[in-house]
Amino acid sequence: MVAIMAKPVEETGYDDLVELAKTEAAALGRLYELYYDRIFRFCVHRLFNRATAEDVTSTVFLTVARMMRDFKGRTEQDFRAWVYTIAANQANAYIRKTSRRRRLMGTITAHWREDDQDSSEWSSLDWPTLYAAIQRLKPEHQTILTLRFFENLDYDEIGRVVEARPATVRVILHRVLRRLQEELRGDLGGEE
Amino acid sequence: MAENEHDFRKLVAGLKIDAEPDPAHRERLRRQMLQTFEETARGGISNFKFQISNMKRLAVAAAVLVAATIGVWAWLGRSGPMTFDQVRLATEKMPWIHALVTGYQNGDVRTTQHWYNFAAQKTYAVMNDGSVLGWDYGARREQFIYSPRVKAVVVSELGPAGPFGAGSAYNLIDAFAVFAAKDDVETTTWTAEHEGRTVRAYGIEAAATGLNMGGRPAARIRIAMMADPATKRVVAANIEYRGHDGSTLTREEWVIDYPQSGPAGMFDLGVPANARVIDRRQQPVGTPGDEPAVIPTPAPTSSRTLVPLQIKLPKPQFVGTPQDARTPNLEQPRGRPRPPFLAPPGTTNVALGKPVSASDRDPLYGSLDMVTDGDKEADDGSFIELGPKPQYVTIDLREPCEIYAIIVWHYHRLPRVYFDVVVQISDDKNFRTGVTTVFNNDRDNSLGLGAGTDLHYTETNEGKLIGSKGVQGRYVRLYSNGNTSDDLNHYTEVEVYGRTVKLIRDD
Repeated sequence: MVAIMAKPVEETGYDDLVELAKTEAAALGRLYELYYDRIFRFCVHRLFNRATAEDVTSTVFLTVARMMRDFKGRTEQDFRAWVYTIAANQANAYIRKTSRRRRLMGTITAHWREDDQDSSEWSSLDWPTLYAAIQRLKPEHQTILTLRFFENLDYDEIGRVVEARPATVRVILHRVLRRLQEELRGDLGGEE
Repeated sequence: MAENEHDFRKLVAGLKIDAEPDPAHRERLRRQMLQTFEETARGGISNFKFQISNMKRLAVAAAVLVAATIGVWAWLGRSGPMTFDQVRLATEKMPWIHALVTGYQNGDVRTTQHWYNFAAQKTYAVMNDGSVLGWDYGARREQFIYSPRVKAVVVSELGPAGPFGAGSAYNLIDAFAVFAAKDDVETTTWTAEHEGRTVRAYGIEAAATGLNMGGRPAARIRIAMMADPATKRVVAANIEYRGHDGSTLTREEWVIDYPQSGPAGMFDLGVPANARVIDRRQQPVGTPGDEPAVIPTPAPTSSRTLVPLQIKLPKPQFVGTPQDARTPNLEQPRGRPRPPFLAPPGTTNVALGKPVSASDRDPLYGSLDMVTDGDKEADDGSFIELGPKPQYVTIDLREPCEIYAIIVWHYHRLPRVYFDVVVQISDDKNFRTGVTTVFNNDRDNSLGLGAGTDLHYTETNEGKLIGSKGVQGRYVRLYSNGNTSDDLNHYTEVEVYGRTVKLIRDD
């Protein structure tokens, strides 16, 4: 297992809330308010479909509710890493299922054709096209890409979610971008 | 476009994505979550992962397995292309059933492994937390549970009743028989695909009473079992429990194979030899009976004594060695640690930090120096990925060495099998002259290097140790040609154990 690099703990102002949320529903409700939008957005970016994203978001927060009393973290940073980890695992588990993946890709292709049939330039790149290309990456790499560019997490935070060193995340991301670029080139008929 | 992070971020910022949350869902989920939280406090909903005991967890799995057989019996008992008798006959011929079970419940994903030995009447289960459970319904009439947390094994008499009690069924066939009389099961059948093969799928739906899944009562069970028409054996199953409101409470995906051999006992399943044994029957439990034998290594060297190589292994990524039944000529798992490998004193990993070249100069993933950087863990930043079709890596040891062993870890996060593995040693960097092949499982000579007779093998954290009997050479080249997961080629680490020729002369 890769050792996580030590990093000074950042005070976020919500650390007390995390401790309280282990025993008090009101505090957990407050944490939920802070994180619902982020997790839902993350799920939309990973799963494309809003209804599916809602289902997975529900699973994430119900898991949090069931496990919060046993949560060992103390800070909001810990909580953030934990809740994103659950979300990433749930999203990956969802799209690993071949039949779902096939259905999902069918939906994307339909959107793609409806929205932009003559897409042959980078400037016309749309979300379905990009998502289809992202889907061809490894699920773990999709997670890293989404956390970095859609959720704006830094390398340390991503490292905590995917259990990798920040330097490793940086290297992976570099290669993932290169791979994604190749995928997109293929989708767009080799245009640069 | 997207040449770097900055470009990609701009690209993402310009996308039109509807990710605006629905306030109604937010509020509904909030209520549901807080209710769940309160119920957890009252013990109304048990946390599957942390509160249910391993024994109970297995009992659940066993109940699922047993329940699954109800439908199989019911359907297979009717006229059709594959009868139960055929399945029973085909199954009973097999010495072992091995099932890899992935369970999904309340957001948790857990993996367990089950082993059934028909002849010895033994059942084992390895849980994803490292716990090991076993039942011997044959000669010993005992059960055991190993807890990695306390590093102890508790051995006791078989329980009086229940799915794993003394009077219970211990394998699939018996379970079939127990539930054969039941006929209140709806069944369907269809043709499906499983891992690229056309299989016959049998679906059942039945009432599930008396079972609790994560603290919620189950109302219905749905099972789909896939049988291979060629072997007439079940190869996979999907099992789903639903609550009274129709929601899925738990889901399990079983992948079943039939290895020729299985674990000889608890110590083959990850229980450490020094685990404390608490025998509630006050009888000796025994220790591993088959300690690894030492492999002698003929070494053309002046050294008179041999010493075991000190090989540091990376962390294992899975328990046991699941076998891919599709791969022909596959080496059977030892089921226990690799025996020590003996080599002359002074033998070290002479490949560490040495330069590496490859047929694919631009790996899809990683950089070539990672092959000899000493990092053999299964992490993302630890392996390289070379392109599809035959590829090789060459290690330049910088000077001629007498080589006793080569250990290769392609990619051990998954129990893959790599094809056409050929390992050669030479003093010629182009491998045109003076080439010694020390391993070759390219049986159909698809690489054109000559047909080999070595067996395919499954990747594990132990890596593949290839003895080379002191062959001398400066360059080591390793070929491969895709694997059971994809057609790419991976190297996590290659170690070459040897001594420099200069060192031997001085010796």
